[in-house]
Amino acid sequence: MVELVPTLLRQELARLAEDDARLDGRGRWEGREFTLETNCLYNAEGSAKVVMGGTVVYAGVKFELRTPWPDRPTQGSLMCGAELRPVAGRKYEPGPPSPQSIELGRVVDRGIRESGCIDMESLCIVPGEKVWGVMIDIHVLSDRGNIFDACGLAAIAALRTAIVPAERFDVGDDHKLQIKGTPIMASFTRVGGRFVLDASEQEELGGDERIHITLGDEGHLHSLQKGLRGVFTPAEFAEIFEVAQTRCVELRKIVAKEEEN
Amino acid sequence: MGGYGDVQLLNDDGSRLDGRKLDEIRPVTIEAGILPAAEGSAMVTHGLNVAVAAVYGPMEAHPRKIQRQDRAVIDVRYNMAPFSTSDRIRPGFNRRSREISKVTAEALESVVLVERYPRSKIRVEIEILAAEAGTRCVGITAASVALADAGIPMRDMIVGVASGKIEDTVVLDLDKAEDNYGQADLPVGILPNTGEIAFLQMDGDLSLEEYNLAMEYNFKAAKEIHEIMVDALRRRYDGGEA
Amino acid sequence: MGRRLGGFGEKRMSQGQTGAEQRLVTPGMVIGPSAGKRAGSGIVTAEESMIATQLGWLREQNNTVSIDPINAAYMPRSGDLVVATVAEVRNNLWFMNINGAFQGLLPMSLAPWKVEFGAARQHMDVGNVVLARVQEVDECHNVVLTMKGVGLRRLNQGTVESIPVQHIDRVRGDNNALLQRMREACDCRIMVGENGRVWIDGDADGIAWARMALQMVAEYGHSKAFETILSEMEQTTKGDA
Repeated sequence: MVELVPTLLRQELARLAEDDARLDGRGRWEGREFTLETNCLYNAEGSAKVVMGGTVVYAGVKFELRTPWPDRPTQGSLMCGAELRPVAGRKYEPGPPSPQSIELGRVVDRGIRESGCIDMESLCIVPGEKVWGVMIDIHVLSDRGNIFDACGLAAIAALRTAIVPAERFDVGDDHKLQIKGTPIMASFTRVGGRFVLDASEQEELGGDERIHITLGDEGHLHSLQKGLRGVFTPAEFAEIFEVAQTRCVELRKIVAKEEEN
Repeated sequence: MGGYGDVQLLNDDGSRLDGRKLDEIRPVTIEAGILPAAEGSAMVTHGLNVAVAAVYGPMEAHPRKIQRQDRAVIDVRYNMAPFSTSDRIRPGFNRRSREISKVTAEALESVVLVERYPRSKIRVEIEILAAEAGTRCVGITAASVALADAGIPMRDMIVGVASGKIEDTVVLDLDKAEDNYGQADLPVGILPNTGEIAFLQMDGDLSLEEYNLAMEYNFKAAKEIHEIMVDALRRRYDGGEA
Repeated sequence: MGRRLGGFGEKRMSQGQTGAEQRLVTPGMVIGPSAGKRAGSGIVTAEESMIATQLGWLREQNNTVSIDPINAAYMPRSGDLVVATVAEVRNNLWFMNINGAFQGLLPMSLAPWKVEFGAARQHMDVGNVVLARVQEVDECHNVVLTMKGVGLRRLNQGTVESIPVQHIDRVRGDNNALLQRMREACDCRIMVGENGRVWIDGDADGIAWARMALQMVAEYGHSKAFETILSEMEQTTKGDA
């Protein structure tokens, strides 16, 4: 369903931008309140729930035994998918995976994969015969804006708490999945002509293009994506990149804190 | 039903493996209004099951061919998340979820005052996040609370409960092992105030006496769960008092 | 959702709720014998009992028992003033989103301008926001809108906020007293549509203030009277909002 964008909303967002203000009173680089909870689902080998403003997302990790690719006999595999099912909002309709949910899953997948936080060699059980396939499934239950950041956070938090169910598959003892690093995504949306962090549903409705940046522990870029209609300048990117650095450090601390508990 | 008669499901003293009495349900907690994007929502945990339901509408029914001139249609989607079971489920609809969606929709259509909304549709989305056993019942309970939360008029709510038979003994609310190795399962949707039944399925082997006892257990459980449903709605809107 | 607003903690939310009978009922609940009483909205009678069909507060007035629902969908009635958004334009009519189950239809003949066939778009395009009135609603929920009438027009400036439809009367207050108080407090023009859409126009601080007050209604309206929200809001000056 294509959503209706009231002209007054775009007008109002442009006016607020002039005063450097936002609809809900936040600062331009201020995120909404959020909570992170891990190990919250029976049957998932690792799980996390993220509530970011009114956005609610779950991620669950499952493992399967498979034969490795012939050209990489000692490497396991990773797959990350997202489902934007009709539960998530009035605008979502039933049917095969939409281009939007495929984009969402792939952007999160790239950030985790390219950060190298999973050592694929460590997923090998018998070279050339048996390796672990790690599957992260993200389930969006309520979309009130910026599902990308919520999904990215839920995925890495679920992965970091995952237990490899080796006993159930009769290939050794259960053990914690080895994860080095915590790649974090920060998303920016052009609202009223300028970029803001962590856009709300209304800001997305009346806004333009979005940029997703995933950074690793050292602040290196691991995944970038520009989505929706619109263009941006190198200067604008430099500005949001700096904000992304701070945001990712903050969120990484919260993931670490949740793991301690 | 699996019918593996040699798996022990009752302790020597006649109690169940998880320590429950024969007519005891697993712990149930319910929260209403947990999904801000939905017009009504609920989360139900029942044992280790976690079900979430969201309600949207009434809205114009699309495609046109599903429209009814005299009433609303209820469009239910029951779906299990890929990580909800011990082996990952491939995303997408399957025959099982289609059947459950259909009978759940018909159960809900028997309590919602659908004639108030001609040509419309009310969307009910049931997502199972963790499955232990009895997810269709937990889904119905969640859907009822979500419909009430959305302000959809109904003549009663529906409580989903199940009883079954293990080792030739009728027990209330089968857990995973009991469901896998038991002899019968009788999931029903009960209207707690009128005492009517809006949802009924059964598989396995039950005598009439066993059916009657299982139903008796189900009615007892429906009463208990209904109180938790009412309490969830009150807690959300009445500051926990009342 | 937005941010939780400082100084309005949950604990202070429980006051409010004016009126004598304050009982929260759930669908299916038996309220009592139906003899001698009339079943109002949200109530059905079955086997000589009154039964609640919605989640809400029970109310008894002039021997009629009814429910003030906690959540409700907008059901258009003729005469309703609505804030509508143009969803589709045809040669001789507009389809409008009115926050209901069905779109409203505004025929060329009920527009405030003399419109040539095929020129509808020149007057109003998709996304435009208007103030309209419901002309008629038939049995099948077909809604016809009109823009002929005093004050009905295209809204070219200002902003639109949403509030739950069941709280509209409470936001207005008796004889619009609370709405008037709100208008004065933020120095804005405010129009409350029966469809839960509220149009606000004024200076930046005033709009921000009004928006915050309405967001409070959306979030806490079920547990707190609008007057309480307004009183607390009035203590924050416009500039701080």
